[in-house]
Amino acid sequence: MSLQHKTIQRYRLFYPQETLRQMSERTGIQITRVFRLLNGKPMKLGEFEAFEGAVQSKLNENKSFGRLQSLLEESASLLTNEELARLGDYVERKIENKKYTRTYLRPMFEAAVIA
Amino acid sequence: MKGLSSLERVILECAGTRPLSYEEILRQTGLQENVCFNLLQALIIKGLLRSEAGQYRLATIPPATMEELNGPEARRAESLELMEAVLEQESEKVFRLLKVALDPRDEKIFLAMLSNLESFLKDAHRRSQTSVPVKHRRVVFWGVGEVEKLLNQIMMGG
Repeated sequence: MSLQHKTIQRYRLFYPQETLRQMSERTGIQITRVFRLLNGKPMKLGEFEAFEGAVQSKLNENKSFGRLQSLLEESASLLTNEELARLGDYVERKIENKKYTRTYLRPMFEAAVIA
Repeated sequence: MKGLSSLERVILECAGTRPLSYEEILRQTGLQENVCFNLLQALIIKGLLRSEAGQYRLATIPPATMEELNGPEARRAESLELMEAVLEQESEKVFRLLKVALDPRDEKIFLAMLSNLESFLKDAHRRSQTSVPVKHRRVVFWGVGEVEKLLNQIMMGG
């Protein structure tokens, strides 16, 4: 998966219901350009940074995430492979259970709707 | 994910006894409608559940998959999930964790009491399993360990 594809997927994870117009307002990228980017047109560096910035600002809203991220980095150097696997399993279960509480299951790359 | 989540297992426990309709599963599990629907879809995709004429029934599960679902790692993760939920529940909370000094005689008595408790629970379950829906069953757990061994295990990361 390309870096651009990953970034858009991350963006859609944090802003799943956003329309193209809202995405355009948030990133400062023209609406037609957002549409093209979602359909695989290569991103310019500034556009990539705009999407990443939006994801980052969502992450910064949750203070615990920063702590979790630094703990994970530390754990990678201290814990055994088995311990890391257990941590991974624990987090994965939390995520899977949370996914079931969504209103309905749908593919990650649902076509965005123009508002 | 290794094994099943407690949410998935509760559905399988319901549909495992006899084929059930969506409404019956909802009534038995007490799950929210959207969660129940999502779980049923996921279990069908995983090949653990079949849907026939509006009824959900347990699929024929290959032994290797069964082993994976009920293996020690999977059961461990599932137990932790339920124990954590018991610890976090706000109402009717009953949880005791004690460090108790037991001489060998008292320890034998304690283990015999645990054995009696287990027999009582098994009998109670046998008597009421058809009348009490899954959602109203109780999660009960117990365990015992020596402090020194447990601390060593914690240090070793086990």
